[in-house]
Amino acid sequence: MSAIIQATEVYKIYDLGEERIEALKGVSVLINQGEFVAIVGKSGSGKSTLMHILGLLDTPSSGEVIINGTNTKGLKEKQLAKVRNNEIGFVFQSFNLLQRTSVLDNVMLPLKYSNVPASKWMDKTMEMIKLVGLENRIHNKSNELSGGQKQRVAIARALVNDPALIMADEPTGNLDSKTGDEIVKKFLDLNAQGKTIILVTHDEDLAKIAQRRIVMHDGCVVEN
Amino acid sequence: MHLLETLKTAINALLLNKARSFLTMLGVIIGVFSVVTLVSVVQGFQNYITDQFSALGSNTVIVGPGGITTGDPSKAYSSNKLENKHYDLLKLNSSDKVLAIAPSIRLSKDATYKTKTYLSTIFGTTQSVVDIGALNVDKGRFYTDAEDTAKARVVVLGSEVVKQLFGTRSPIGERIKVEKETFQVIGTVASKGSSFDDRIYMPIKTTENAFNLTNISSIVLKTKNAGDVDTVIKETELILMKDLKKDDFTVFSSKDILTSINNILSMVSVGLGAIAGISLLVGGIGIMNIMLVSVTERTREIGLRKALGATSGNIGLQFVIESVLLSVLGGLVGLGLGWLATFAVQSFVRAEVPWWAIVLALGFSLTVGVVFGTYPAVNASKKDPIEALRFE
Ligand SMILES: Nc1ncnc2c1ncn2[C@@H]1O[C@H](COP(=O)(O)OP(=O)(O)O)[C@@H](O)[C@H]1O
Ligand SMILES: [Mg+2]
Repeated sequence: MSAIIQATEVYKIYDLGEERIEALKGVSVLINQGEFVAIVGKSGSGKSTLMHILGLLDTPSSGEVIINGTNTKGLKEKQLAKVRNNEIGFVFQSFNLLQRTSVLDNVMLPLKYSNVPASKWMDKTMEMIKLVGLENRIHNKSNELSGGQKQRVAIARALVNDPALIMADEPTGNLDSKTGDEIVKKFLDLNAQGKTIILVTHDEDLAKIAQRRIVMHDGCVVEN
Repeated sequence: MHLLETLKTAINALLLNKARSFLTMLGVIIGVFSVVTLVSVVQGFQNYITDQFSALGSNTVIVGPGGITTGDPSKAYSSNKLENKHYDLLKLNSSDKVLAIAPSIRLSKDATYKTKTYLSTIFGTTQSVVDIGALNVDKGRFYTDAEDTAKARVVVLGSEVVKQLFGTRSPIGERIKVEKETFQVIGTVASKGSSFDDRIYMPIKTTENAFNLTNISSIVLKTKNAGDVDTVIKETELILMKDLKKDDFTVFSSKDILTSINNILSMVSVGLGAIAGISLLVGGIGIMNIMLVSVTERTREIGLRKALGATSGNIGLQFVIESVLLSVLGGLVGLGLGWLATFAVQSFVRAEVPWWAIVLALGFSLTVGVVFGTYPAVNASKKDPIEALRFE
């Protein structure tokens, strides 16, 4: 098994002048290709901060993150954007779809920032929309969808560039439990197809479906 | 991201907020509209004046009252010392470089024929005006010097006067009234351009007598050659000095007036252009303002795009293109409206949109879009993906 992400001694410190918040205090994690890992812990324990750093949305105050063998420390802004685009798919608690924009255009968005030729965009987009079962809603605007449908659009969008790694931050947080279960099942399917999944949640029950749990408390990993 | 795709993204963003996009464009629309319209009208006016003076000819010397070119023009006319006898003086003493001389009195008065009235220019002059103005008497005849001496109540009408008072009927032999006086129409003059066509030519002595005048408006001299103009100006000044003081009159050529009018019009153009330019600047500031608001409103969108793989360059370009689209589209609409306005005033001024005004307007609005779009775009591109995603 090869490592897809390796983080060593990651610190994240917010210096707010009067206050110094240590969101991460020397976190080291190793995640292998094909794993389904849940990052769990109470609210405010640093889960999201860790995920953002692992997903190159944020930079650590110190420590390093290696993705697919590449140390991300020296990467330029453009190269970071490329890694996010090609190798990682994000799913957020609040969906983060483009407002008043169709399902089709939302799912297609990562392709527009990729090197995939435009002639292939439509096929790839439709394939992902079918995968999440929204082929009847392609022309609906994002605000015309239910919460569960929105999250399915977000999953299709995360998958459209065929990344090896999916990172989801409380993906069921805004959904009722039945819809939440459907979304979780989707992640299990994807993992079965070989995708590496990092699921961030404060919900212990939800975390049970993962092969492995990384438990956070007050900026530290307490169980791995 | 390809440029075409960025363009589509920008267009979509603008279409999502149609009313706001339009209002933002309004400043540039008004700016470009005023630049184009003002430039076209001034240009048209300049063309008109140039035409009028070329009708007068480049070998024309004009004597006017007072120090027109130096002093206060209104004072020059109120203390007018120019009289018909100065015309006689010039006629007697001018060299053979002078081909013809005509005095003139100009009065704006209502002329009446039966029930019809038309505000015309009474142009009291001698028969020599036919040569000087290259008039073409198309019906009847012009009055003679003998009729002038006899103060005969006769007139020759310009084509617009004929049209307004007589329509298609022949005016020859008919009588028209100006104030309480009655005059017989003995001829008409073919059209020569708007400022000539509202004239009623009347023997100068008749005019003085009928309207109780002692002064005349000007004396026009035509030289044999255009090269004689400067000599004739000096010669004319010397002759008039026998009876008048230096400040009582001014002698100048039509070229002098044309040059000074063109100078004034150029200054007016520059002045108006500067004001219009300021409104374009204000339009640009309006674009910057709205783009800054838009960047703040769309912070989450920017964060999301970055999370999905957009580079800072992609984001910056998207916002610059949005502002350039706003300003160039505004420029095009302003240009179109300016063109329509130019078309609408066509009957008053022969205005035309010069090609350089089009280039200037579009170049200017493009520049405004780039200049005022850059700061908001840089703001947008600098946003950190995670800060932007957390933004509420
Ligand atoms: N931009 C920030 N500025 C200051 N403090 C922050 C910022 N982002 C996160 N934090 C703090 O870092 C800690 C961890 O936050 P987070 O990673 O969001 O926790 P979790 O996702 O586990 O609920 C919290 O105390 C939070 O207040
Ligand atoms: Mg969180």
